[in-house]
Amino acid sequence: MTQKKKFSLSDYSQYMVVFSIILVFVIFTILNPKFISAYSLQNMMVEVSPLILLACGLSFIIYTGGIDLGAGAMVSATCVISGLYVTRFGNGIIPIMLLVGAVLGLLNGVIVTKLKIPSFIVTLCTQNLWAYIALTLCPNGSVAIDLQLRKTLKWMTAKAAGIPVIFFFALAAVVILFIFQQYTTSGRSIFAVGANIRAARLAGVDTDRAQIMAFVVSGSCSALSGAFYAYKQLSAVPTIGDALTLSAIASIALGGTSMAGGRGSVLRTAVGVVTITAITSGLNMMGVDPLWKDIIIGVILIAAVYLNSDTKGRDIIIK
Amino acid sequence: MADILFETKGVGKIYGTNTVLHDIDMKIHSGEVIGLIGENGAGKSTLMKLISGVEAPSMGEMFYMGKPYKATSIINANQQGIGMVFQEQSLVANLTIAQNIYLGREKKYSSAGIVNWGRMNRDARTALERMDLDVDPGKKVRDIDMATREMVEIAKVLDVVTEAAEGRAIILLDEPTTVFSDDEIQEMYKQIRKMKAAGNGIVFISHHLDEILEITDTIYVFKDGEETAVFPTKEADMNVLYEKMVGRSTTGEFYVEAKQTVPEKDVVLKVQDLSLFGAFNHVSFELHKGEVLALAGLDGSGNEDVCNVLVGQEAPTAGKILMNGKEVRFANSYQARKNGILSVPKDRRDEGMVSILSIEDNITISSWNHLKQGPLLSSKKLKAAAEKWIKEARIKCPGLKARISQLSGGNAQKVIFARALESGCQVLILNHPTRGVDIGAKQEIYRLIREMTEQGHAIIVLGDTLDECLGLASKVIVFRDGMVSGSFDCPVDGKPSQQEVVHFMM
Repeated sequence: MTQKKKFSLSDYSQYMVVFSIILVFVIFTILNPKFISAYSLQNMMVEVSPLILLACGLSFIIYTGGIDLGAGAMVSATCVISGLYVTRFGNGIIPIMLLVGAVLGLLNGVIVTKLKIPSFIVTLCTQNLWAYIALTLCPNGSVAIDLQLRKTLKWMTAKAAGIPVIFFFALAAVVILFIFQQYTTSGRSIFAVGANIRAARLAGVDTDRAQIMAFVVSGSCSALSGAFYAYKQLSAVPTIGDALTLSAIASIALGGTSMAGGRGSVLRTAVGVVTITAITSGLNMMGVDPLWKDIIIGVILIAAVYLNSDTKGRDIIIK
Repeated sequence: MADILFETKGVGKIYGTNTVLHDIDMKIHSGEVIGLIGENGAGKSTLMKLISGVEAPSMGEMFYMGKPYKATSIINANQQGIGMVFQEQSLVANLTIAQNIYLGREKKYSSAGIVNWGRMNRDARTALERMDLDVDPGKKVRDIDMATREMVEIAKVLDVVTEAAEGRAIILLDEPTTVFSDDEIQEMYKQIRKMKAAGNGIVFISHHLDEILEITDTIYVFKDGEETAVFPTKEADMNVLYEKMVGRSTTGEFYVEAKQTVPEKDVVLKVQDLSLFGAFNHVSFELHKGEVLALAGLDGSGNEDVCNVLVGQEAPTAGKILMNGKEVRFANSYQARKNGILSVPKDRRDEGMVSILSIEDNITISSWNHLKQGPLLSSKKLKAAAEKWIKEARIKCPGLKARISQLSGGNAQKVIFARALESGCQVLILNHPTRGVDIGAKQEIYRLIREMTEQGHAIIVLGDTLDECLGLASKVIVFRDGMVSGSFDCPVDGKPSQQEVVHFMM
């Protein structure tokens, strides 16, 4: 292939996430030296953990070339379920939520593959079901978890060697998801589906299974994320997920994962989450009106997708 | 004869490095019907595209009524007086006949943005009457049958070009008779004779040689993108056409015939009375270990549909498929692969290459199940498999992790062959395995096919040309109109001639 070496932003888009995380930390540290204090970093680790789970799980749906618009709503629903039922199941709520999430994801996946409906339509519709679950269980806003029970939930945000336990969970999840992505037939098939579903199907890949798997993994991760929010907030918050779909997709895009599917990595997504969270908490510390938060994330998402875009430069040849 | 209306001098078309049409000289006289024949991919449709303005020629010149001719688009060609009726119908089903006839030309009937439908319908009726068609121009196209649609399409083109150049127009008909019954074909002949009597020039493409002999004045034969013969129709008969069409045969060496294996006794795949409604009927054959079975036939003869059914792309409406004596049914290609059938698809770019994935992934994609270490995929085994095939198939590539889309057509095809071989599937279906690859890569692919049979694979091949089918196969089954019309054994020392086989194709 003959290609002229021309400077193009797209050539550097794969390093975008590294540039931006350094840039963000440098800028905020200059503006506010406390930004990298131990206390602030510990806070940030607690803050990023549930979002890492959500975004890394959602990445798999994006790898297939699909999307889950209801990821945030699923977090709300599962946060509420966890918050309300933790009194009955204690810490057993965590494996239960993994299962609940898998079932909700399975529902999405089966509708997408068996009825052959685009995922954005399916999830646009099913998200209302998740929102309904969250709002009927908590019709009057957040419900705080019983004071007595709080002690048994404290360990999640407690620190081991200065690092919050919840962050270890997030790291473990990233490692497991990375292994799934890289070293399992399902993981590889998910990428193949996103790269060229027709060719993958003809190569004898079980494309339906791969797509359903992506939704199941994403569902489990979203649900675990919901449980983490309940642990973190010590309450059932029915609106917790409202803005999270946007943050998660922005993190994925910032990590350089193609919105068209076929390429990306959970490691990059995790770094993207840290960057996005750093930006929002930096703005918080500077006293910027929180109303601006989603607008800024929206701008970042558009910029990141533009830089990754398959519609210009070499990518037009590739995909 | 009358004046020359249209002329091409040394016209050709090159896509990338692939010359699909070379040095064509054609003269179309006023009142002449030209018949254009040749195998699939001989370049007939390409020439039509160049004349009708769909594509620009890469070389040569064209003249229309003595002046240099250039068309930038179909509409531009229409305005000059040259129109084409395409193989696939191009009418918009939701619009009325009149709206279709004047599609893109509504301006004539509109004032201040309001279209005068009444006047359009009246004019449409005239256009239809010119073709002796008695249908209501206000009817929607989806409510009329296929044959009438075809006639409407011709009426539309005739109207456009008559408006531009009455009596001097060029009308290109690319296989117009495929949807017609015998009576309708007679009607079609009548209309062609009328157009001809009006002084227009006509080019008629058909795979039905009897039609060519019936209606044309001059016959042009194309083969592999070249014009191999031109002669008046009255000097020709069926046998002459067959002979001219197939032309020279390539040598056995080209197809590595020395390595052609004699099929073993064991039947791997057995197809019994298989039918797919609307595509093929009552097809039966046996495929043996080490055999190369070619399914020959023209486009739409049903041979490709048989392959689609065998890889689970479509479900048969009747009949049985037996793998090693056991009946199987596939809902998708995954199940087909699990049962040992995998294809190398025809459309390499859209169906073969998993575009943005690496060469390694593309080679191993059908074999992940056996490249594991415990429950997880083994990087080492994946890499080893990819490296093995890059060496064996002589794939030229920048590295294992490079994207397959960076490879040339021939090398990409070899990657897909490597995938098929690595999969360990017993039956490999090669659908036009050498389409669009250069001659060097073709030879390598033929060598790989021989290797496949040596390893005991059983192969079904749909060749790009009849020559290829005969060269590669140890048995050829010929399809015509969805039925098996003939079958030939092709041992190395006794291959049938192309002439013998082509009879059964048309």
